[in-house]
Amino acid sequence: MTGQLKKLTANYDEPDLHRMEVYERLGGYGSARKAALDMTQEEVLDQLEASGLRGRGGAGFSMGKKASFIPEGTMEKYLCCNADESEPGAFKDRVLMQRNPHQLIEGCIIGAIAAQATRAFIFIRGEYETQAKMLDAAVTEAYEKGYLGSGIFGSQTDLELVVHRGQGAYICGEESALLDALEGKRGNPRLKPPFPANQGLYQGPTLINNVETLCNTPAIIEHGPEWFAAMGVDKSTGTKMVSVSGNVQRAGNFEVELGIPVREIIYGLAGGPPEGRDLKCFFPGGSSAPVLTKEHLDLPFTYEAMAEAGSMLGTASMIVVDDSQPIVPLALNLAGFYRHESCGKCVPCREGTNWTVHMLERIDQGDATPMDLEIMAEVQTNIIGNCLCVLGDSMAMPIGSMIKHFRGEFEQHIEAARAARDREHIRAFSAGELAAAGEAGPA
Amino acid sequence: MARPQIKEISFEIDGREVRAPEGTMLVDAAKSGDVEIPYFCYEPKLGQPVGACRMCLVEIEGMPKLQTSCSTPVKDGMVINTTSDRVKSAQNAIVEFLLINHPLDCPVCDKGGECPLQDISYGWGGGKSRFIEPKRHFRKPLELSPLVAIDRERCILCYRCVRFSQEVAEDYQLVFLERGDHTYVGTHDGRPYVGPFSGNILDLCPVGALTSTAYRFRARPWDVEEAGSLCTLCPSQCNVQLTIRDDSKVLRAFARDNPEVDDGWLCDKGRFGYQAIHSEERLRAPMVRDGSMLREAPWDHALEQAAAALTRAGAGTAALAGGATTNEEAFLLGHLMREALGSPHLDARAGGALDPQQARVLARPDLSARVSDIDHADVILVVDTELVEEAPILDLRVRKAARRNNAKVVTLTGRPSSLDPNATAAVRFAPGAAEAALSALAAELGSGRATGSRLHSRAGCEPGAIGAAAEVLRAAGDVVVLWGERISDGARGASAVDALLAVAGALGIVDRPESGLIEVPAATNARGMREAGVAPGLAPGLTDAPEAGMPAAEIAGALGAGELSALILLHEDPLATHPERRRWQTALDTAATVIAFTDFVTTALRDYATVIFPAESYAEKEGTLTHPDGRLQRVRQAIGHQGQVRPEWSVLAELAGRCGARPDVRSAPQVTQKLFATVGFLDGLTLDEIGGKGVRWQDRDAASNLPRAELPEGTLEVPPELPEGMRLGTVPSLWAGTTVEHAPSLRFLAPVQRAELAPADAHRLGVGSGDEVEVAAGGQRLRATVALRQAMQPGSVFLVSGTADNNATALTNGVPRTVEITKTAGAVNGAGPPAAAPAAPGPGAQPPPV
Repeated sequence: MTGQLKKLTANYDEPDLHRMEVYERLGGYGSARKAALDMTQEEVLDQLEASGLRGRGGAGFSMGKKASFIPEGTMEKYLCCNADESEPGAFKDRVLMQRNPHQLIEGCIIGAIAAQATRAFIFIRGEYETQAKMLDAAVTEAYEKGYLGSGIFGSQTDLELVVHRGQGAYICGEESALLDALEGKRGNPRLKPPFPANQGLYQGPTLINNVETLCNTPAIIEHGPEWFAAMGVDKSTGTKMVSVSGNVQRAGNFEVELGIPVREIIYGLAGGPPEGRDLKCFFPGGSSAPVLTKEHLDLPFTYEAMAEAGSMLGTASMIVVDDSQPIVPLALNLAGFYRHESCGKCVPCREGTNWTVHMLERIDQGDATPMDLEIMAEVQTNIIGNCLCVLGDSMAMPIGSMIKHFRGEFEQHIEAARAARDREHIRAFSAGELAAAGEAGPA
Repeated sequence: MARPQIKEISFEIDGREVRAPEGTMLVDAAKSGDVEIPYFCYEPKLGQPVGACRMCLVEIEGMPKLQTSCSTPVKDGMVINTTSDRVKSAQNAIVEFLLINHPLDCPVCDKGGECPLQDISYGWGGGKSRFIEPKRHFRKPLELSPLVAIDRERCILCYRCVRFSQEVAEDYQLVFLERGDHTYVGTHDGRPYVGPFSGNILDLCPVGALTSTAYRFRARPWDVEEAGSLCTLCPSQCNVQLTIRDDSKVLRAFARDNPEVDDGWLCDKGRFGYQAIHSEERLRAPMVRDGSMLREAPWDHALEQAAAALTRAGAGTAALAGGATTNEEAFLLGHLMREALGSPHLDARAGGALDPQQARVLARPDLSARVSDIDHADVILVVDTELVEEAPILDLRVRKAARRNNAKVVTLTGRPSSLDPNATAAVRFAPGAAEAALSALAAELGSGRATGSRLHSRAGCEPGAIGAAAEVLRAAGDVVVLWGERISDGARGASAVDALLAVAGALGIVDRPESGLIEVPAATNARGMREAGVAPGLAPGLTDAPEAGMPAAEIAGALGAGELSALILLHEDPLATHPERRRWQTALDTAATVIAFTDFVTTALRDYATVIFPAESYAEKEGTLTHPDGRLQRVRQAIGHQGQVRPEWSVLAELAGRCGARPDVRSAPQVTQKLFATVGFLDGLTLDEIGGKGVRWQDRDAASNLPRAELPEGTLEVPPELPEGMRLGTVPSLWAGTTVEHAPSLRFLAPVQRAELAPADAHRLGVGSGDEVEVAAGGQRLRATVALRQAMQPGSVFLVSGTADNNATALTNGVPRTVEITKTAGAVNGAGPPAAAPAAPGPGAQPPPV
């Protein structure tokens, strides 16, 4: 496999695609109409399940299966579209929403039918102001057309869709924190179980899907699950939006068929690191994914292969790091982000991210010993698996992987920074600033 | 919704086969196998687990990740390991994480020695710290409220206090602010955390972050002893544990969980009211009047004076009992009055006597609910009582049922209820029109007993409101009715209770074991006093008294007219609690003798008492009380008697003896035995059987000894039309009374008089929020500050009863009455009337200044 395979983004060069008439002219809302009028809820669910479509938000759980967990019954059910794209390195949902908002709305309608939801919410990241406005405009158009509201497409099915803007917290991308935030509470993750499919928004069964996942559903309904499953390899079916950023020559979003070699993404599509530099490591699935190195370049880009290599496909946000980048500032920047975004609810994440940042700062400033590296590695182990949600793991796993792959560089950094600091002290001493140095504090 | 039936299952924990009720959280189930799993955030009283502290992680066979045992219900055949290396390393990790930013100032921390964090660190921690960075710092300690100090450095953010505020008290004041490692607990608006239940967060805090300002630095856990007893400050009769130093001083009170009574919560009055026990102003010796002065006197002299005066008055003596009078004291008071003095005039109710037959009907086991029935009720009907002021712990109970068990709440009250936000239907009636409202409800429920037309308008209800409430009730299975004693007050009290019984009949309560009524009385031990015979028409055991006496209101008249000459006040000050304050003033003034038992000398007693005996505090008392749901509970002596205070049962017995009928009792338990032997439905009961958790007499075989009483039949009386004008209602304040006035920590909560008005009425009267007004009726007047309440029924004004000054009892006279309201001064703080008053001003009316 080489190059892009444009399915989701097939019509992205069409002018004014965000407008209803253009979207409809290109066949838009056909699938939603079909799902609402000609298909039963079971049929929609079966098709989604048969397609093998896996969640594109990071966890990679089968979308159809997740929808099938929604219990029967007369209680109010909900669909939530997770558009709180905040993962460092991820910017695919932004493009999907601003180029083709109707595709997402259509996906929401199909998802809602599969989940028997009569109320749907798009929880969009607060900073995505333009995208939220475009979605709002598109939702208004859909209401005017009768594709949303009571009796969508003239069927017996009702669907209300609300675009809700978040307030800029990374944690609200965690599905249960998203639900709390949507309910007007502090956006803190909930204890699971109960899972949202059973008790989600306002205690009702709730299907939560990522933007890209829902955007995939119209094509599946249109062309059939076999068409979708034919793309990709094994259990990684279909195409995937990949956001490549970092030290590459052509950063951007690319739609590729799952199974494409990683090398083809980094070097083929994104042009590889700038001239004269070499690849040091890369995050295959956003900043939460443990880093991989050159030896992993020829792996196929699938959920399975990435997991086997000790990382994850995640949101498929490829952050590329070349050999000009020292690892310690990278780790510090990353840990600092997670410390800032930790909600503070559970102990290992709240204290562990804070501690890690402190240790990395000391390492960077020459105030650490190689023993601190041991402690730091152990702190990461103590975080992983012990937290309420995955945010703690999201820092501990990549930091842990950096220590694993670049222990030598960490140690060198510790020694070099210590030496530099000692030199600075000696310089100050010889310049006759003894008194000042003495007051300044620690030796 | 019936109580769930729970079956037992068996599971394996640390290699042992253990049985536990199905569905119990692992952390609790483990205890059946003598396995302790450490935790901080788990507290079932707070509702669903949150899994925030991660301390309780365990390994469950078949699950790849460690699981929080606080949120995993035990299933049959589960295999759990709490001691594997994985679990141990997780526990070590969590303790290490918790301690890195904890100040470890245990030697100067109040919690030291009784601190879960300390215990768990020793038990499950690694014993060393690898954290060498600077710790997180906050300003500390700060006052979270006048009652609670917060040390944010010690806080481990376990969520308990926040969950209490959000999900139990539902005051929504405490929140987490900031996030990540900057997270801290505070109020959402930065103002002090003040609420009737705020002190519970002290019990909940598993570290030394929240400390009681009243207890801080007073003692270490090894300096003190604990004593279980009962709080007697309100009818909730919560079970408390008192912290005692040197057998003589109460330092602290906290909850002693009893799910049948209090669910493990206390209100702040119950928690901090102990301070009044050690108040300087408390009476510690008898006082005898010497001319215009009351002087301290030796016991013998005081007893002699009192006995002589009572003997002189003989059958011309009346007695009022109130507050926390125990069953034993009530029983002995009855003995003193009926046997020694030959007077039938004794009462424990301020608002009017309960019809003896109705008292027996209301006591019927099949008509009464237990407190824990509230948890499982389908609908809870709250009739003319403001629980948060009158029996606060029941307010939490109703909230819990609504929040966790989806019980529907119906409020049927004169004053907007604090439970309205939780209510499916909220019905307002005019103050004093409970009878009409209940009759209308009975009619809507299809009771054939209700007659009369336009019952809605006689009740002053919105058309359709009662119908909506009835609809909720009709669809219900189990209904618990919480009704305020005040509906039975006054001349129409009996008809109102009859209407209540008609509602109960229409709901089929007698046929449903988990449905029933609970009376919310005005006095703590109202039920016990009634059942022990302190009522004008009732002898002990709810049998008819051989000679009917006068109820309180008539006693006042008879004293004033000289028909009676002596008055015994057992824990009662009629000027504070009884209606028709002026009439009582005359009565006290005219009475030749006033013998009082009290802990604080109120103005009325200072002016009129002949002899005052010092009353015991509940921490000094030995005896029993009866909860409004029929549960007899023991109040136990925790400290030695202060000063010269003597056990009141012995004083009453001595008085009776000196008046010629010495009862055959030599100890408090003997009085109890005598009482149980006298009251038919308490036959065979012993103090041992009551034990630490109490016994409901309705649950014992002897309950069949209750005199038979049939549910009333026949049509209800037609309630009267409403009087025209501003109709006066009163609401008691939890914070009124001598306990709060003499407990330094609570004093700031003592109520001042306020007139609660609907915005429309305020607009019409030209007054606004904060304005000073004069409220007048029947030649009596008092001053109050206007408080506007959106939900207030127009035409109603509510005053607080029991305030130290401007007590509403000056205006109440036992019948629905109207008042005049005139403005005397503008708002002190400049708060004006509402910007948009709903009613348009009449022609010529000046719009109020903004």
